Amino acid sequence: MLKFQRNKLVTVYQDKPGVVHVHGVLADDIFDLEIDFAVQIDEMSIVSIQGKWNREETPECSRALPFLEAANGFNIASDTLAQQINKVVSRKACPHFANLLLECCLAAKEAIGVVQFTVAQKEQQDLTFADYRANAEAVEKIKPPIVTAGGSPQKEHVALSEPQRKPMRKSSRDFYIDLHTHSFPASQCSSAGVDELIVEAKRIGLDAICLTDHNIVWSPADVADLIQKHGFPVFRGNEITTDQGDMLVFGMQEDVKGIINLGDLKKMVDSAGGFMIAAHPFRGFLVFNTSQIGMTVEKAMQRPAFQQVHALEVLNGKVTKQENRFAEKVATGLGLPTTGGSDAHAVGDVGKYVTCFQRKIENDQELVAALQTGDFTPFRYRQHIMRGEQRVG
Amino acid sequence: MTTILCYSRNRATSIEQVDDQTLISTCSLQDTLTEAVVRIRVQFPELLILSAEGKFIRTAGSDSIPMQAALEKIKGVRIGAGMKKIIRGLISEVTDNAELPYLIEECCHAVILAFTKDALMLAPKGKAKSTAFFKKMVKENIRLYNGCAAFAPGSPLVDGIEI
Repeated sequence: MLKFQRNKLVTVYQDKPGVVHVHGVLADDIFDLEIDFAVQIDEMSIVSIQGKWNREETPECSRALPFLEAANGFNIASDTLAQQINKVVSRKACPHFANLLLECCLAAKEAIGVVQFTVAQKEQQDLTFADYRANAEAVEKIKPPIVTAGGSPQKEHVALSEPQRKPMRKSSRDFYIDLHTHSFPASQCSSAGVDELIVEAKRIGLDAICLTDHNIVWSPADVADLIQKHGFPVFRGNEITTDQGDMLVFGMQEDVKGIINLGDLKKMVDSAGGFMIAAHPFRGFLVFNTSQIGMTVEKAMQRPAFQQVHALEVLNGKVTKQENRFAEKVATGLGLPTTGGSDAHAVGDVGKYVTCFQRKIENDQELVAALQTGDFTPFRYRQHIMRGEQRVG
Repeated sequence: MTTILCYSRNRATSIEQVDDQTLISTCSLQDTLTEAVVRIRVQFPELLILSAEGKFIRTAGSDSIPMQAALEKIKGVRIGAGMKKIIRGLISEVTDNAELPYLIEECCHAVILAFTKDALMLAPKGKAKSTAFFKKMVKENIRLYNGCAAFAPGSPLVDGIEI
């Protein structure tokens, strides 16, 4: 017997030149929804989108429908269509409408190819679809350049809405570093410019932050400029995506692109004398967690990936308390050191969780050396600021 | 007036539980230009892809797609947050075909939805009780907050929840 089934149907027709009409249905065990829209062929843009729920997940799913209008004007041939749909339709309307819309757009793009091929074939009867498509792909626009760290204009600085807080009192030995932050444009998923992150870190009394943009190596010169500009310690790290999940890497200069095998990355980190932390190792799902499907600490401890890392991130600002607690239990079971980091993607996230070291750290080399001692602890920094508490060092 | 379709697409994805720790997820696509199927075996609770197989039965292009070589790449990948980036990255090492990663993602997505369905079957009937159920869900997993219109500020499902 099937445990789950999903069916999607997309149909496209043309009743007048220049426009195609798209109808999509998604029906599975949980949802049943429909989308209708038109595409203007000359601009490849969506017009008149409408949605309909037939069966919903929650009593409030119908709130999604007005937000679908935001997809009007989307270019279905754009390289960034999936990201646009995710950002606008998935987050503001509904992820399932977003899934269906993407399916419909991909189908509509192919349908327009079929329509145009049919016209072209009238002119050239021996034209095959394969030849037509190969020709069409050759004239597609060149992709935009990849944005690199510090290489593009920063977002306009946003004034901080919260009043200046008095930095937290702390033991003179404690040194608090947010080991996991993302800045825009180096990390396209972040909304915070690097200057904003640093200003906020200073404002809340952190001792330093570490930039761990996705598969980006900040240049020493760029970071030195930031340190001088803000009079605040900024360290260099990197969040690298491996076939076994994301890893925070420190003390390695190689610019890893694409998806790397974890074992290969471990060799590179070891050869550079660096340090590797499994980031958010149990980041889970929205509606259920892994323990609900039978995951236990003992089973999780057997993950081969944990034999390759030096530490586990057990306080991550983007996962649930249960997921962080679970990671902590696994780290304890494995006897691995543990760290904390905000995983900041917005200014207000900085310092939610940090790592507390027992000595002052002044540069990247000292950070790696301090990590290698294992003498550090994860810490709920913002929570303590809000309470105005002093941490016993 | 007769309006004949110029294009149509059917995509069906299903999950079968074959034993107490193995799922098979199958996604088949049939449209005007393409017919293809991908099947993955997934071990749970790790949600690890144990094996993958597939076939392009019909394509409009002239290039052959190294389906099996590409699918070998995703063995050992864990289904969960961040999987899309990993799958696309690994598949792109073998082929630039756009449909193949989509078929795999749909298989993986269906695995997640199968467990989501189990969790949602606990939701009580009736608007008031159901609202309370989902509100508790948001409190336990704040990632849901503002993740879609139903869980956005102003919705009764997040009423009174502070982040």
